[in-house]
Amino acid sequence: MATKPKAVQHKEVLITGFGGQGIVLAGQILGKAASLVDRKESTLTQSYGPEARGGACSAQVIISQSTIHYPYVRIPHIVVCLSQGGYDKYAKSIRPDGMLIVDQDLVRISEGSDLTLYRVPATRIAEEVGRRMMANIVMLGFLSAVSDLVTREALHETVVKSVPKGTEELNSTAFNKGHDYGAAILKGMEKKAAGKKGAK
Amino acid sequence: MDKPKIILFICNWGPHAAFQALQDKDADIPAEVRMIRIPCTGRMSKSLLFKSFEMGADGVALVGCEPGSCRYGSGTETAERNVEDMRGILHLLGLGGDRLRLAMFLPDESDALLQFLQDFRDVIDTIGKSPVTPHPRDLSALSHMETARVVASHDVYACQDCGKCSSACPVTLSGKTFSPRAMANAIIGGDLDSPSVVEDVWSCLTCGLCTDRCPSVVNFPDFIREMRHVLKGGGVEGHQSHGGFFQSLMRTMTSPDLSINHWDWLPEDIKTDEKSSILYFGGCAPYFDTFFRHHLGVNTSDILSDSLRLMNFFDIFPAVQPGERCCGHDLLWSGDEENFLRLARLNAKAFEEMGIEEIVTSCPECFRTLSHDYPRAGIPLNVKVTHVYDLLEKEISKGAVGFEESDHKITFQDPCRLSRLEGRPELPRKLLQRLRPRGFKEMQDRGISALCCGNCAWTGCDSYTKALQNKRLRQAKVTGSDLLVTACPKCQIHLKCAMQDPFRGNEIQMEIMDLTGLMAKTIKWE
Repeated sequence: MATKPKAVQHKEVLITGFGGQGIVLAGQILGKAASLVDRKESTLTQSYGPEARGGACSAQVIISQSTIHYPYVRIPHIVVCLSQGGYDKYAKSIRPDGMLIVDQDLVRISEGSDLTLYRVPATRIAEEVGRRMMANIVMLGFLSAVSDLVTREALHETVVKSVPKGTEELNSTAFNKGHDYGAAILKGMEKKAAGKKGAK
Repeated sequence: MDKPKIILFICNWGPHAAFQALQDKDADIPAEVRMIRIPCTGRMSKSLLFKSFEMGADGVALVGCEPGSCRYGSGTETAERNVEDMRGILHLLGLGGDRLRLAMFLPDESDALLQFLQDFRDVIDTIGKSPVTPHPRDLSALSHMETARVVASHDVYACQDCGKCSSACPVTLSGKTFSPRAMANAIIGGDLDSPSVVEDVWSCLTCGLCTDRCPSVVNFPDFIREMRHVLKGGGVEGHQSHGGFFQSLMRTMTSPDLSINHWDWLPEDIKTDEKSSILYFGGCAPYFDTFFRHHLGVNTSDILSDSLRLMNFFDIFPAVQPGERCCGHDLLWSGDEENFLRLARLNAKAFEEMGIEEIVTSCPECFRTLSHDYPRAGIPLNVKVTHVYDLLEKEISKGAVGFEESDHKITFQDPCRLSRLEGRPELPRKLLQRLRPRGFKEMQDRGISALCCGNCAWTGCDSYTKALQNKRLRQAKVTGSDLLVTACPKCQIHLKCAMQDPFRGNEIQMEIMDLTGLMAKTIKWE
């Protein structure tokens, strides 16, 4: 896959889910990868307040080529939903040309729209890898394949540095699985667009 | 340069009289022609025709009677079929189908016969000498020293004579007087050439079920393989099916100067890339299909094209080797280690020259041979050998790939080399679980305990192996399935052959398809 993303002018990303799914950690990793490794500007704001365990929580990341003057996400380009609550609350705010990524087993999509929509079995993949709490890392891997926010290498490196000691390898596997899934989805869309759905 | 060698097989009934007339007239019969008188062209089996080329003939002419005048009625038609099939084989081998010719003459057509022989000599002169270099084998006395070494190296002494093997062995259970432990003990006792030992060594299917059950884990398949080598070295051969054609074919492939056309039949929708560092090693399916074209109508080449299609589906465009040779599995398992080594060396050199880093194969025998038997025989390939199922499983598990529903109820025939000797019955099943058939039901004997398809390495086909195949097909029928999925071209050939049993009819008839075929038909991007 292409690892050199096109120049990102200014992208707003919202990651939502339950408290405890590692939403804030995912936001931190994404922002750190963009700023510390890819040398862009990034900010992170988070809301978890009283919902810390179980309710909707979110991480808001802005990645930009230039100085960021206002750190809150207003109209996100990309929304990642790992819970129904998060979807219900934030999906409406997305830009019309934006991208919506949901965990296909946890979020039911209400109506069709023109948004680019990806359904990812993130929690299921994380369970296959060994721990369902790594669904956030699977999502990051997926994001690295389908978006040009950060380079895959930067994100992978930051994941390995940010997760608890001893879990680096598992998280790395989860990340790569997410990335492979994203790459496979893109390839499938490309093939289908070219009219080659099957092998014959 | 040597003169070309042309063999003329001529029917005793009609054209031989014409040939004699030529001799009587002292006509100018080309000096290259050596005449062999035969009872009927229909009796020249494919293996006999091919054997001439293996032994260094540059051209073979089969001369018989006009179709209506055959003494036995159907001889000429049989000869036509055999010659057509063998010309196909000669083409694949790169020898050229023109080296084999069929002609018919009446007894009084001696001038026409002479003209034919002179033309044929000119044709062979133009094509040139055959690149096949015969390798006659030095025979020696049966070696007891060698036997002792084989027995010791596989620790056959550890046999406790408990009988677990014979209670599991599919050959024994098919009713044959055959016992792995009795054979082992007879050989330990120095009895090498008694008819029962010889028969047993060549009847074993080397399926490995006995090793799986043996409390001392005596590696019976390996033991048999080496005993066959010892026996064959002493001139004690077993029964080879199809007149030994396939062994003959593989020995012919040990000639280094052949320019084989292994892939020129490949459908055009398949993309390969000669610069790729991944090689797809297809195996002998094109030869099988040509040989059995008129008999079973087998289509095992589909396994090759479907594997390539599946790889293409994932944007993998492997190289294929135009001059691909046999991996040597069947020579190794029918006691001809020298020629196996010749093939292995040629293959290893070819892989190295192509700069191959990974070999992908869909044949369980090629997989086993390239990954295990080459290194064991001292010919390490510095490449990764991957079964196509592993590659597909890896690609499919990345996601976004699904399968169309198919209207079959399926069951699965395990290949011995993958499920038992390699110990990986789960691998094809992972893929089977992903498919969406109307139903999937396993047979009574399955996975590591599966029954063999009935033959191995083209040896020992008899009524007992037929009984075993019958039993296997009945097991498949009992599952209520309508499609038998296989994972090895030979399983397909052998089971299709068994289905032709006229006394069983529908009782054992079933559609057969390779797993790669079923996948290629239903795979899709989600």
